[in-house]
Amino acid sequence: MKMSPFDYHRPDTVDEAVALLETYGGDGKVLAGGQSLLPVLALRLTHLGHLIDIGRVQGLQSIEVDDDGTVSVGATVTHARVERSDVMAAAAPAVAGAMPHVGHRAIRSRGTVCGSLAHADPAAELPAVALAVGAEMIVRGPAGQRTMGAGDFFEGYLSSALGEDELLVGVRFPAWAPRAGWSVLEVSRRHGDFALVGLVTTLEIDEAGLLRRPALSLFGVASTPVRVAEAEQLLDGNAPDPALFAEAAKVVSGALEARADDHASSEYRAHVAGVLTRRGLAEAAARATERAGV
Amino acid sequence: MREQIMGRFVGARVRRVEDRRLLSGRGRYVDDVVVPDMAHAAFVRSPWPHALIRGIDTTRAAAVPGVYAIFTGPDIAAITNPLMGMLALPGLYDPWHWALAVDRVRLVGDPVAIVVATSRAVAEDAAEMVDVEYEELEPIATLAHAHDPSRPAIWPKANGNVVYAASESFGDVDAAFAGADRVISETFRQHRHANQPMETRGTVAEIDADGNLTLHAAHQAAHVLKWCMAMCLARQPVWMSVRDMFRQREQTKAIFAGAREFVRAHPTMMKDTQQMMAIMLRQIARDPMRMVHLNRALLGLMATPKERLPRVVTGDIGGAFGSKMTVLREDIALCAAALRLGRSIKWIEDRNENLVLGGQARDEQVAVEAAVMNDGTVRGLRAKLTMDAGAYPGFPYAAPMFCRFIQTMFPGPYRFDAMQFDIEVVSSNKPTYGAYRGPWAVETWVRERLFDVIARELGISRAEIRVRNIVGPDMLPTTMVTGPTLDVRMSAKTTLERALEVADFEHWAEHQAASREQGRRLGLGIATYIEAAPGPPGFIDAVMPGFSAFAGAEPIHAVLEGDGSVTVHTRQVPHGQGHETTLAQVAADELGVPIESVRVRYGDTNFAPFGIAGTGGSLSAAMAGGAVGVAAHTLREHIVDIAADLLEASPADIVIEDGDIHVAGVPTMSRTFREVAEEAMRRGVVGNTDRLGRGEAIRVHRDWNGGEGGWAQSTHVCWVEVDLETGQVRIPRYAVVEDCGEMINPAIVEGQIRGGVAQGVGAVLYEKTTYGEDGQPRSGTFMDYLIPTTMEIPEIEIHHIETPTDIAYNYRGVGEGGMIGAPAAITNAVEDALADLGVRITEQHLPPTRILELAGVIPERTDR
Amino acid sequence: MREITLRVNGRDEHAVVEGRTTLAEVLRDHLGLTGTHLGCEHGVCGACTVAVDGQPVRSCLMLAMQAEGAIVETVESLGDGDGLGLIQQAMWERHAFQCAFCAPGFLMTVRCLLADNPTPTTAQIKEELSGNLCRCTGYASILEGVAEAVAKLASAAGGANDA
Repeated sequence: MKMSPFDYHRPDTVDEAVALLETYGGDGKVLAGGQSLLPVLALRLTHLGHLIDIGRVQGLQSIEVDDDGTVSVGATVTHARVERSDVMAAAAPAVAGAMPHVGHRAIRSRGTVCGSLAHADPAAELPAVALAVGAEMIVRGPAGQRTMGAGDFFEGYLSSALGEDELLVGVRFPAWAPRAGWSVLEVSRRHGDFALVGLVTTLEIDEAGLLRRPALSLFGVASTPVRVAEAEQLLDGNAPDPALFAEAAKVVSGALEARADDHASSEYRAHVAGVLTRRGLAEAAARATERAGV
Repeated sequence: MREQIMGRFVGARVRRVEDRRLLSGRGRYVDDVVVPDMAHAAFVRSPWPHALIRGIDTTRAAAVPGVYAIFTGPDIAAITNPLMGMLALPGLYDPWHWALAVDRVRLVGDPVAIVVATSRAVAEDAAEMVDVEYEELEPIATLAHAHDPSRPAIWPKANGNVVYAASESFGDVDAAFAGADRVISETFRQHRHANQPMETRGTVAEIDADGNLTLHAAHQAAHVLKWCMAMCLARQPVWMSVRDMFRQREQTKAIFAGAREFVRAHPTMMKDTQQMMAIMLRQIARDPMRMVHLNRALLGLMATPKERLPRVVTGDIGGAFGSKMTVLREDIALCAAALRLGRSIKWIEDRNENLVLGGQARDEQVAVEAAVMNDGTVRGLRAKLTMDAGAYPGFPYAAPMFCRFIQTMFPGPYRFDAMQFDIEVVSSNKPTYGAYRGPWAVETWVRERLFDVIARELGISRAEIRVRNIVGPDMLPTTMVTGPTLDVRMSAKTTLERALEVADFEHWAEHQAASREQGRRLGLGIATYIEAAPGPPGFIDAVMPGFSAFAGAEPIHAVLEGDGSVTVHTRQVPHGQGHETTLAQVAADELGVPIESVRVRYGDTNFAPFGIAGTGGSLSAAMAGGAVGVAAHTLREHIVDIAADLLEASPADIVIEDGDIHVAGVPTMSRTFREVAEEAMRRGVVGNTDRLGRGEAIRVHRDWNGGEGGWAQSTHVCWVEVDLETGQVRIPRYAVVEDCGEMINPAIVEGQIRGGVAQGVGAVLYEKTTYGEDGQPRSGTFMDYLIPTTMEIPEIEIHHIETPTDIAYNYRGVGEGGMIGAPAAITNAVEDALADLGVRITEQHLPPTRILELAGVIPERTDR
Repeated sequence: MREITLRVNGRDEHAVVEGRTTLAEVLRDHLGLTGTHLGCEHGVCGACTVAVDGQPVRSCLMLAMQAEGAIVETVESLGDGDGLGLIQQAMWERHAFQCAFCAPGFLMTVRCLLADNPTPTTAQIKEELSGNLCRCTGYASILEGVAEAVAKLASAAGGANDA
């Protein structure tokens, strides 16, 4: 399969990129790693007149940690860099922890964190991580810069709140709390495939040993990543133990109206979401305990 | 490289000769072929599974810069002969059809037009602009649809959507069932999945300055491709053919002389094929146009001057597993377009095309009844096989042939008094059912599943039921209830016994229970089978009466070149099997030369010996191995004779060691191969062929009919662990106990076995060619068609058994066996893991959702 | 159409490409380096894997324009003069491949792996190679080939430079 023809643009600055999007946005897309976009073009599922390659735009390549612990990741930072980054491992472990699940090494060499977020595949790990931790998307458009919370960013299947003329220039992950734990689990048909069902769990264990700010962010089950508020409420303020986790798991399976496709039924996804909830909570709680003990 | 065992290459893990170029990236696969002024083709394909073509407008497309030409279905139909199946079986309706769809499309992807342009990308751009007006018809997407008389027939002249029906009975079936203690019945459903070699299909149609066609092809049988293509391209009015045949009288006389010679050489052929004649006449009566096309095609072929026949050249081929054996409609359209334009054109199938239209198989259902005694003896079987063959029959042979293999092999290595076998092949709006590694494998899957089912119903062990029914050495030789002989080397029972040891079967129940206590749900499955690789002498006639006349023996031409090196010409076309090495091993041993002195050549119809088969059917080691042995042996005799003259010694005193020919005990009295070659050239023609190539000193042609033939046999053991929380199935251990006779190269044998087992794992746990009820393919990318990776394939232990014998060239085939045994062993293991839940497995595809449904953990889905 | 320059197997190469021309196409069609194969053209099978700036990349999922100015290595760079390089030699000795259509992709994946980590565990090797599909071998022989390459690297003085 060969792609249909398009004009290739390579802006040097964010302003240039945004200007190009303003001109061509309706018939164009941003190209960063290309690991999601190029297969779609190769299969001729989409025809675009313009590709705007931001691969060499200045100022988008950094990973930075602020004094308050907020981590900023620029739009062209690859998964591979995040995977190898000690900074990310320390300051945003849930993000770093998702990396081994993301495709295969060759995909991670080119694919970008922001690219994955903008692509908004509900079966991908990073949108679910962003939703769990409350990441902020930094968006630049002709009207200037704005930020969007992850909760507002993912609108539907492969559809984000980015305007046609807007560029996701970076993502900010909130500071990782001192007593926090995380887990990224997924069940897929083969190793490295998109998840049939996946779960990102983040939580904190306070000084009284109780769960705080639990987040259960499922991927692969709906048209966007989803949090299960009912289950989170059940957990918040309670002591972590297997019985509680099992109850939360039941709530998750019960609440979920999961999608069905050729790879898994909705009953399967709902059931496994419950299984992952139990396992994910245990894993995150263990990590939180370990971190707090350090 | 130079490894030998006890001075012999055969039996040693000789490193492959072909790897040097392949590992360097210097392989020459068909997409690497570039010829001058080469254009590129893409096909316009139907988006509908079943529709009438009301109109086709190529104006917009033709205007795209870079487009050379566009040919529609009618354009190609005017310059080619249709594809006509060559099988004549009673009860078979084999519809002839054009290379491109003319008035009707019969599956999603059906090619409707070919676009020829400066690049593939441009051709695809233009293809999108070809406007086709379709009138949709109701699709036939399931077996139920195929049997639904209210749905339109895909081939109106067939019997509804049934293209083949047959029924055969062996032994006294009624008596077997009347005398049974009980009858156990079950229906098993195997799912459609796909060959999926890493290289797709494709061809470069090269037109030279004289307008002659060379096909650079990735094809398993070069001569088959050549002749089928020649027949389809030989399109001209009958009167012209008759005129040309008259003008080329010498050639025409030679053709008739050849035919007479063939008939004379096969005295029973006329009688054997009498039946076929009647069938062919009935087919013609059903559809008289068949006669018109057949006449025109045969006469056109006979009228084609020899020099104008297409040449086929194969290079390196990236796997096939049976999917590169037929002649593609696309290839015919490609070649016709190339000849019409007078320009070379390349077409490489892309992965999406290959997934939607490429080799697919295993789409069958078997309803079986077993006449069983309480002690586990199975007296007889009644089986009804329903196969979904897709829309277009394969060319030159199709699915019904596989049904005959399934029927013949159904008893396997077990003893049955009687068997009734009914076959029904239906048409559907799906791709052609093609050959896929062990096309008859459903016989093993169903039979081995059935034994487990029977064992559980009777409360006896799954080992015992097999041991009770299997044919043991004390019963040999004997015949299968379907006819073929089981000779004294048939060691299936030995492989079973050894496998039971390897499995520690007698302690399995305890072990399983203990693991269950620890929260692990394990299962163990066994499957035993035999494979006709090459089978006993006359095997193919049991499957298809009269076929052996056409199948022919395996030819090899062994040549001593002028420079003293040796070339072996074979009709085999390796695509992963390592023939350049294995056949050289056999030749090098026979001749006493280093393996580097032997070159194996194949794939070029100008050089390769003729055969109606190429590489397939697990036959290359047995047939080509044997043929190389005898040909090299004869060549050696000529060489020794000449050397003896030169050395003034007796041939009996000549020895050849490591390429040095000398008098026994007198190493200084020696000659080189080169010296012998020069002497041979001085003498003129030596050897038994009249066709000495340039620079050749001696050329020998020998055929091998398989000698004593024989069976390959194996028992597979699979352990599984099932996670009932996620439905995932792990294979912690897998073992194969196999006897394939003498191994030419153990490394290659093991590679073939492991590759086959891996495809079995794929079939059960990952791979399914999915169609909606609307006939739309839903596994058109590698995101949906899941080929197992390193993480999904278990370690596979291989235990070799070699039953001792004096028979020469005791090589049996292993190419397909892994894929025959694995699905049975794996599904048997899964059922064992879930047996306590009362689960009976009657389907072969067991993804996580299905496992949880079967185990009752989740309710069955209702959405499909 | 635009002319680009990229460094391929140690040489500066120029090619005139369209926007949609992939790195795989520029290597195969423009530069005649047909060792890199196209198995799926949608980034799953790994047959097209090459090294770009030292990292493994699916060349069908990279535009030629994106590769402008990059350092690209293909399977053709693995040889040792006219002979086989270390990884190729190891694969040959262990009968790693059958049809070998997938081999160049595996070889480049292994090359990148060993450059990064000359002593991977079996589990790491399996995981790293899980992005390359093979249909012929069932993988065991390929994994043995990698193990052999690791062993050869370990015993070769000077470590993992040009594998």
